[in-house]
Amino acid sequence: MTQFLQACMNGLLTGALYALIGMGLALIFGVMRIVNFAHGAFLMVGMYVTFLLFDRLKINPYLGFIGAGIFLFAFGYLVYKLLIQPIRDRSDFMQILMTTGIALILVDSAQLTFGADYRQTNIALINSAAHFGPFTLNSASLLSFAIAAVFIIGLREFVVRSRTGQALRAIAQNRDVAPLMGINVIRIQGISFALGIAFAGIAGGLLLPALYLFPSVGEDYTLKAFVIVVLGGMGSIEGAAIGGLALGVAESLTSTYIGNQWALAIDFVLFLLMLSLKPSGIFGSQRA
Amino acid sequence: MRDPRVRKIVLFLAALAVCELPAPLVDNNYILQVLFRIALFAALGLAWNLVGGYAGQLSLGHVAFFGLGAYGLAILAAHSVPVWIAVLLAALLATLVAAVIGKIVFRLRGPYFTLATIACGEVLRLTATNLTITNGAIGLTMPAVFTGPWVWKFYYVSAVALATVCFLVNFWTANSRFGFYLMAIREDEDTASAVGVDTANYKLRSLLLSAFLTGLGGALYGSAFQFIVPDSVLNIDVSIQMAIIAMLGGAGTLLGPIVGAVLLLSTSEIFKTQFQESHLLIYGVLIVLVVLFLPEGIVGSLEQRLRHRRNVIQKPATAAPAVSAPEKGR
Repeated sequence: MTQFLQACMNGLLTGALYALIGMGLALIFGVMRIVNFAHGAFLMVGMYVTFLLFDRLKINPYLGFIGAGIFLFAFGYLVYKLLIQPIRDRSDFMQILMTTGIALILVDSAQLTFGADYRQTNIALINSAAHFGPFTLNSASLLSFAIAAVFIIGLREFVVRSRTGQALRAIAQNRDVAPLMGINVIRIQGISFALGIAFAGIAGGLLLPALYLFPSVGEDYTLKAFVIVVLGGMGSIEGAAIGGLALGVAESLTSTYIGNQWALAIDFVLFLLMLSLKPSGIFGSQRA
Repeated sequence: MRDPRVRKIVLFLAALAVCELPAPLVDNNYILQVLFRIALFAALGLAWNLVGGYAGQLSLGHVAFFGLGAYGLAILAAHSVPVWIAVLLAALLATLVAAVIGKIVFRLRGPYFTLATIACGEVLRLTATNLTITNGAIGLTMPAVFTGPWVWKFYYVSAVALATVCFLVNFWTANSRFGFYLMAIREDEDTASAVGVDTANYKLRSLLLSAFLTGLGGALYGSAFQFIVPDSVLNIDVSIQMAIIAMLGGAGTLLGPIVGAVLLLSTSEIFKTQFQESHLLIYGVLIVLVVLFLPEGIVGSLEQRLRHRRNVIQKPATAAPAVSAPEKGR
């Protein structure tokens, strides 16, 4: 039982970061109906930005992730203006190809600039643990959990309460009527794309201390992001947060009871099961 | 020669003869290897075209069939099945798995479909990485389909032969009722279904055909390079390459995948020496440019322009509208 609870807790700690990733993707999908196949690549960029801040300026990754978020917000907006906005009314087919192309460019540019070497930020926190009764939790994971929680709640409040958030939800509900209500669809879509990318960057920054960094590190996360978003119901931001936590727990249980190497496989199995049994997500009501 | 059908056949045979020319003339193994890869990927692009081009289903999981072809051949040959029979059985294995995968993925549309195909490919990659029969991440040695000093010549000729078969299947598809149904599904699946096309059935058939051809390609590829690991023959990059080759040339056109393969592989060969590990960069740039400026692909755009001009000449008063793009605004 202790082992089970321990695995669940570890899963929740990772799951909070997954939630950030999934929420970013859900935001983009909800407002733009664009499936961002480059999400993991943007996450990788966030990791490199945080790494550079650490390597050159000695900024701790748990502070540097803010820099990654800001940089990726700007970068995401630029990518939207140059590459996404021109194709916003094209078929799924073209949009998927476009974001796949963007992913290839990002990953291989990183490879060209930084080489394929594995890099690491050796910070002390990653090796210290906190004890709660019979349970042991990694301090770094606890810290990133806390930070992620702030951003998860922050994003939800922003979407629910702010004027931009309202406009954003209006577009998600009905893209044809929203502009008639005086909403600048292109501006809001740009903001939500940039914000979604920024969340991928923040998650990347927070993941950095626990992982080895290399150019294709993000690939798995693109797929994870989709699993999360499908679990939570495509386009629902709260759903994505819960989907992220659920995926974290599922992975943690798999690696505890079946074997570490199958943790990634459970992602895809969950994904295919979910798509074939209940494509609208755990909480979704409308048909996907 | 005046019969257009005869002219087409003569043209086809002449093109085929030109394609086979390097086999007796070139002795450099490096060049033969590059040509082999071009011919093989032309075949793969044409195989993908059946599903991605004619039926309009953006699959990014075709590597599953490619990998099954390669792994199937390696495992069967290790159990002393004669090589050529093993090649055939491996391709049949790919087809069989395609039937299962098709049942799952064709219930989905648009991005969900694409994601599910990626997931299927990845599940296979992870399975091959973790099983003992596939020797995990270490990989398997492939049986040689050809031996002797002329191996690369033989491999090249067989790749051209495979591409020819794929081309003929595409040609048949483009001109048959089967193909018309697929194109109807691509243009508007709901309408196609409403007028009585069994959409699920026809999509599945196109996938089975495509998977069989892709499996043959995988077996040939693995055998030519002698050694396979999950990250080489089950890598999602192969799926992406197949799709880009067809899209760049023009998805749903006959010559598109061939043009795409020649263009993409020769440029990547040139850039490989300069960028080494980063040669996929050029793929990314090409995709972005094609999506922005040539959404119909090279051959598709040319065909469109030709048809447009012909229409203008025939009916100068009312210039016919350009052929509708296979997409609807949303």
